Amino acid sequence: MLQKKICMLGGFAVGKTSLVRRFVQSIFSENYLTTVGVKIDKKSVAFPDKTVDLILWDLAGEDDIGSFRVSYVRGATGLVLVVDGTRPATLAVALTLRERCEAEFGAMPFVLLFNKSDLTDRWAIPEGEIDELKQRGWQIYLTSALSGEHVDDAFRQLASMVAK
Amino acid sequence: MVEIARNVDPDNHALYEGVPAADHRLERLRQLLVGGEISELSRVTHLLDEPEQLATAVGNVLPEATARASHAQLGEALAPAVERAAQRSIQKNPNTLTDILYPVFLPAIRKSIGEKIDQTFQSLNESLRHIFTWHGLKWRFEAWRTGTSFSAVVLKHSLIYRVEHVFLISRASGLLIAHVTSQDATSEDPQLISSMLSAIQDFVKDSFKEKENSGLDTIRFGELRLWSEVGQFATLVAVIRGNPPEELHEVIRDVLLRIHQESSRALERFDGDSSQLPGVETQLQTCVELQHMDSKEGFPWLVVTAVLLVLIVAGGWSFLSWQSAHRWQTYLSRLAAQPGIVVSDQKIRGGDFYVAGLRDPLAADPQSLLPGTEVDPARVHSNWQFYQSFEPQFVLKRLSASLAPPDSVRLSVVDGRIVAEGEATTTWINRARAAAQQLSAGGPVFDISRVRDVSAEERWQAYVSQLETQPGIIVADQNVRDGQFYITGLRDPLAADPQSLLAETQVDPARVHPSWQFYQSLEPQFVLKRLTASLTPPDSVRLSVVNDRIVAAGEATTAWINRARAAAQQLSAGGPVFDISGVRDVSPEERWQAYVSRLETQPGIIVAQQNVRDGQFYITGLRDPLAVDPQSLLSGTQVDPARVHASWQFYQSLEPAFVLKRLTASLYPMDKVRLSIVDGRIVAEGEAPDTWIDRARAAARQLSEGGPEFDISKVRDVSPDARAAEHWQYYVSRLEAQPGIIVAQQSARGGQFYISGLRDPLAADPQALLSGTQVDPARVHSQWQFYQSLDPKFVVKRLTASLSPPKSVRLSIVQGRIVVVGEASAGWISRAQAAADQLSADGVVLDVSQLRELNLAELNHLREAIQTTGIFFDSGRVVPGPEQTPALDRLADQLKEFAENARKAGVTARFMLTGHSDTTGRETANASISAARAETVRALLNKRGVAPELLLVRGAGTFEPAVPENENSRTGNSTNRRVSVTVNLE
Repeated sequence: MLQKKICMLGGFAVGKTSLVRRFVQSIFSENYLTTVGVKIDKKSVAFPDKTVDLILWDLAGEDDIGSFRVSYVRGATGLVLVVDGTRPATLAVALTLRERCEAEFGAMPFVLLFNKSDLTDRWAIPEGEIDELKQRGWQIYLTSALSGEHVDDAFRQLASMVAK
Repeated sequence: MVEIARNVDPDNHALYEGVPAADHRLERLRQLLVGGEISELSRVTHLLDEPEQLATAVGNVLPEATARASHAQLGEALAPAVERAAQRSIQKNPNTLTDILYPVFLPAIRKSIGEKIDQTFQSLNESLRHIFTWHGLKWRFEAWRTGTSFSAVVLKHSLIYRVEHVFLISRASGLLIAHVTSQDATSEDPQLISSMLSAIQDFVKDSFKEKENSGLDTIRFGELRLWSEVGQFATLVAVIRGNPPEELHEVIRDVLLRIHQESSRALERFDGDSSQLPGVETQLQTCVELQHMDSKEGFPWLVVTAVLLVLIVAGGWSFLSWQSAHRWQTYLSRLAAQPGIVVSDQKIRGGDFYVAGLRDPLAADPQSLLPGTEVDPARVHSNWQFYQSFEPQFVLKRLSASLAPPDSVRLSVVDGRIVAEGEATTTWINRARAAAQQLSAGGPVFDISRVRDVSAEERWQAYVSQLETQPGIIVADQNVRDGQFYITGLRDPLAADPQSLLAETQVDPARVHPSWQFYQSLEPQFVLKRLTASLTPPDSVRLSVVNDRIVAAGEATTAWINRARAAAQQLSAGGPVFDISGVRDVSPEERWQAYVSRLETQPGIIVAQQNVRDGQFYITGLRDPLAVDPQSLLSGTQVDPARVHASWQFYQSLEPAFVLKRLTASLYPMDKVRLSIVDGRIVAEGEAPDTWIDRARAAARQLSEGGPEFDISKVRDVSPDARAAEHWQYYVSRLEAQPGIIVAQQSARGGQFYISGLRDPLAADPQALLSGTQVDPARVHSQWQFYQSLDPKFVVKRLTASLSPPKSVRLSIVQGRIVVVGEASAGWISRAQAAADQLSADGVVLDVSQLRELNLAELNHLREAIQTTGIFFDSGRVVPGPEQTPALDRLADQLKEFAENARKAGVTARFMLTGHSDTTGRETANASISAARAETVRALLNKRGVAPELLLVRGAGTFEPAVPENENSRTGNSTNRRVSVTVNLE
């Protein structure tokens, strides 16, 4: 049994919970997010030689970065950063959250998801900006919780990164 | 050389004692060759010899040396010294070490004491609970027998528990290291549970700022308890069902401690791969095997139950046997009381009942007497001999069965004798007589003297004579042959059916052979029936039989009279006389005249002219619409409607009855007004509002010209009350039409009006709606409860008040849904979303999908530009020089743009203009000059179209210089003579 703790980070209403809802195994209700501030789900990713259980800590999304509970990230081996592709401000939020985690616990692998890729008419992140981030060697996925596009790819990528 | 040797080794000193010492050349050579080493050597020697110097030197390297030393050796070397040092320290002053260890021990001690107290309370609670129960007594005995304390025994029996799951969770990551579950215990995914448990631990720690190095001790949920023990690298959580003893904490702690001892390094480096910790599960398994179940042995329940069962069976059996004997006696006495039954022997043996005796077959069945006595029929063994009882009622029954007396004969018992009465045939009487003779030998007397002999022939004759008296039936011949009856004759189809008459007699229909020929009877009543069927006389003609003659009387058309006459002629050959002289011939003209005269008597119909021409009837005249329809009167007169040509003019009859009808229709008299005709006058009585009275008066005036009098003096005017009620109803309907107001109840009583209901605080004020309704507010008693209407209009109002949407957002109602459109900040959008979620529970749709998030970056850029702008002044001047005009123009444009953008974003921008001065001159003068500069700039900006209410002004004097001033400068710094702008957002 190989498990890894992964934290899902992102601003308010970027769709983290929706991503999790359809693609992972879950026993806790979404109420936990508002009461305890965290909800835990599991995503099993199978590789030819092993299976990695990603234990996903879905942290309550906050635009107010000050109230973010860093302590929940302790012991995590990877991050899923979620950005709402229709709201450029959420990219800054996700990056700030990542900086805070790295400042506290050191660098760790992560994937960056630009969510709501199905809302093409309201898409607000310029192509150039995403390319620039990719230049840095970041793993970036345009996902849609609605269609499921690239969600599994992102989790698989992260699993292979943390299980090295 | 000798010198060198001497210096290198002191022993050589003595060896070469004879060699001269003070050769200054050697000394010189020595200095040249090894002078540096000598001085270094003497420094080291000095260092080693001087304790103080040595201590300093060793002190410098000691920490480094300790760190590099082999751990085991160093520990061993230091242990005795450290122990002695600690011992010494405690001897000298124990407080020092206590102070040091205090933070370490206190939590441990506190926890240990807490558990001890819990343990004590638990045992106390259990002891108290069981002190007076049956268990309590039993356990006291056990305590005395085994020599342990009572509370220990109580705990042993009452603490029933089972450890169902044990989780070992990594403290660093919350990941599950190992999970062991007891048999048949189930749970959700242990990986998720362990992470959630550690999340909750973090949550509690964060929420209550708990710094202690421990987690949640206990979580309790009904029967389930979660006990957690926190170790250095891992937390052990046990899920326990039931009531565990406090000692279990220690057991769990021991297990955790052992795991830490054995795999400390693996635990510390745990990275999610549980295969690195293979032996842990075996350790955890020991926890899961912990349980305590109460033993069920002790009290000999089985023996007690068996004894009780025996007692119950024995008691029940003796009661039942007594009861059955009693019931048997009841049954026997019931048998003895039955006529026709003689009990000769009876006994009870082995729970079964035996009875023997005689019974008449006609007597009651002994078996049928059993129900009701509750004696079990299966256990009754009877042995009955049949005999014939001579008791009269049995003899009567037997006679009834053997003689089968006809319905006309009745048998009864009179004074012990059996008496037959009625009518019977000779054969039956003979059989009865034989039976009477048989009985005479010992039986009761059978008296048949009162039975009259009626033979079948007699009854036949009676039937025949009945037929002969029937009208329409003629008996031609009848005779009796070999018990069969033959009859022939004539019968009219309209006469009575001979067969149906037979049923009423006692003649057997099977023995009757009739032969009837149909004929037409000429008896008057038959003829009358046939005539009625064939002639179908009109309503105006009546047929009857008078003295055997058939008489027709009344009125009829010529055609009918002709047909009747033909029938009379047919009948004259032997039939009764058909007299039609009483039928008066009415010609069409006559009938027409009868119709016209009938019309003339109708009220509301005036016949002006009528005549008959070529078999056609013409009539003209006036008719009131309310009078009878002349057409409807035509039917029944036998005047052919196709030949009638009527021409009626409508007019208004002034006959009181018609006037009354018209008034009723036109005035709609209220429920409380009654109109009637009294002596040709129309009188109205009752109550009505003045409007009605006015209309009635106008009608009366109209009628006064030739019409009947319309008297309304008896109608009482009730208008004020009625009007008030009307106004009230208008007010109520107005309220009901108001959105956000629900009228629950309203009534008018004694001139006062009462209303109650619900109103939304945002709805119109019911009081304000009163104005204009003419309802007296002083007479209105309202009782309104506030409520929140879910009408979208009200929801929008409330949302506007609670969310205070920015100006860039517009709320509108589209097909009952509330749609929010525009741009707003992310915070506002989330509040709107929360409101939408809340409202959806009430079924109101708040659509926020069209909201766009606002970008404030551009605004910030502009703010930066504004705040770095300065308007500069010459020394002592409060009006900027002309060279500042471009700066002012640009500033004004920027302010306007900023204010506009801010307004779009839902915020108000205000600009603070701060005037400054240099330090030359007096302070008070500088203060006023700075304020004046700000005022001037405000005026100049205002002139350039910046709204004055957005501009605030203050003078800072010399207190906020842009650059530090040189105290001695006489001219002051031109950079400080300025007006600066700061932007505030509200």
